[in-house]
Amino acid sequence: MKILAFGDSALLVNFEQKIDEATNQKVIDLATWLKTKSEVTYLIPAYCSLTVGFDTTKHKFEQLSQLIEAFDISDQTKQNEISKTIEIPVCYADEFALDLEDVMAQTGLSKAEIIKLHTHQVFKVYMLGFIAGFAYMGALPDQLKVSRKQQPRKVVHEGAVGLAGVQTGIYPTDAPGGWQIIGQCPTPMFDPSRAQPSYLQPGDVVQFKSISRQEFSALKAVSSNREVTHD
Amino acid sequence: MTKLHFIKTGLLTTIQDLGRVGHQHVGIPVGGAMDKASAKLANQLVDNDASHPLLEITLLGPTIRFEGDCQVAMTGADLSAQLNGQSTLLNETVNITDGDLLTFGRPMTGCRTYLAVRGHWTITPWLGSYSAATSKGETATPQSSIKKDQIIEIETKTPIAKQVIKSHLIDLKKPIKVIMGPEFDEFSNFFVGSFFSTTFTITADSNRMGYRLKECIEGYGNLKEVISSGVLPGTIQITNAGQPIVLMADAQTTGGYPRLLNVLTPELDRLAQMKPGDQVRFELVTDAIDPSAHFKIQ
Repeated sequence: MKILAFGDSALLVNFEQKIDEATNQKVIDLATWLKTKSEVTYLIPAYCSLTVGFDTTKHKFEQLSQLIEAFDISDQTKQNEISKTIEIPVCYADEFALDLEDVMAQTGLSKAEIIKLHTHQVFKVYMLGFIAGFAYMGALPDQLKVSRKQQPRKVVHEGAVGLAGVQTGIYPTDAPGGWQIIGQCPTPMFDPSRAQPSYLQPGDVVQFKSISRQEFSALKAVSSNREVTHD
Repeated sequence: MTKLHFIKTGLLTTIQDLGRVGHQHVGIPVGGAMDKASAKLANQLVDNDASHPLLEITLLGPTIRFEGDCQVAMTGADLSAQLNGQSTLLNETVNITDGDLLTFGRPMTGCRTYLAVRGHWTITPWLGSYSAATSKGETATPQSSIKKDQIIEIETKTPIAKQVIKSHLIDLKKPIKVIMGPEFDEFSNFFVGSFFSTTFTITADSNRMGYRLKECIEGYGNLKEVISSGVLPGTIQITNAGQPIVLMADAQTTGGYPRLLNVLTPELDRLAQMKPGDQVRFELVTDAIDPSAHFKIQ
């Protein structure tokens, strides 16, 4: 763990610079612990780093770094409860799987095999970023590893489920993007009218569930009705 | 109750305050006024709290008809504001009477004018802030991105004695002060030297999220990619082409480009008053923060 000054009112805690679950768990554990500290104004957990914001009018860099050093990761991990798995429905119908052919060509897998690999295991939310509510999830099995699109799309639609490297993610709003799109999720990932606008939080455990086109329409109707009643 | 009726919206007119801190972990940007010093000053001139909502007006201002009396104050850029066709002053409390028309003309100096109105703004905050949201703003902060014919209601308060700030000069010529970023040591001395001897031009592709600078620094090559990590307003990232991007108030919360430098927070206010085409230089300061924090503590 290395602690660096980051700007004039934050610290950056760098763990070993690699993408894996054990390293990310250290980030999540430290973030969970720091969340309760009054010195901390915000946290940005990422794959293997944690940005810690604090009020410089009240606290010094040294105080904060001492606080972070005092955290005993091994102790914290034991106390950690096992997160419950969040099931996320995804429709892999051809009309939504815009880059299915690319993914099949890159991986040598059939459509059924791709869906199976995407749905048969749990993934972890390593971090959120890029746009509000965008969760970087992984790690995908190596057989499903694909490179990003050569030419990013100007608009990827809200709900699109994509692959990039060993990561998977769901676009929470329409946004430009280069991930390989294999399906569509009817559950809103970002809804400002909810008390917690982001559906997923860092550290969550998710599992995708394949749904039919009919189920997709039904779930979509439910979620848009819900949005209407919120207004 | 006084109404602000927006006859014209201007180029980009939004409601801002000091931003929403504490939601970056789910990717929600901080936002808030780009030039926070000017925003605070405007609210101070009408005796509002520093965190009160106000208008951020960008380059080409709106046309506002006031329906009711109130007190306002404008700070920041000189965008040739006129009240009923007469030039009106920045940096002082201005009394408005029912029917007054506020218009803007040519941008003279700076980029963003802040307009504070004394009293309670009857708009709905989202996650503790009135600042226009960058994602799903229509649902999150429907009133904060000003649209044509929009009306904002203000519950006015007893007028205060007129206040004037003698000088609030924004010097756009002095270099912007920066400190080392997390990946500073990974850049070559040659690259860093070139960066600080370059006069950069702010491109048209610059907005509240970030300023892209036109000049690319040569000799940028073998730097290994950074695994996506936190970024802050003020972080200067270097793209693969050697192009600097200075992240601003609406910046995304994470990024994968190496973070060469960070602009000191108070200096962001000056940068926010620079516009596309303006030139900017940077100056490295090493004594701005606790010096022990520059080094790896563990």
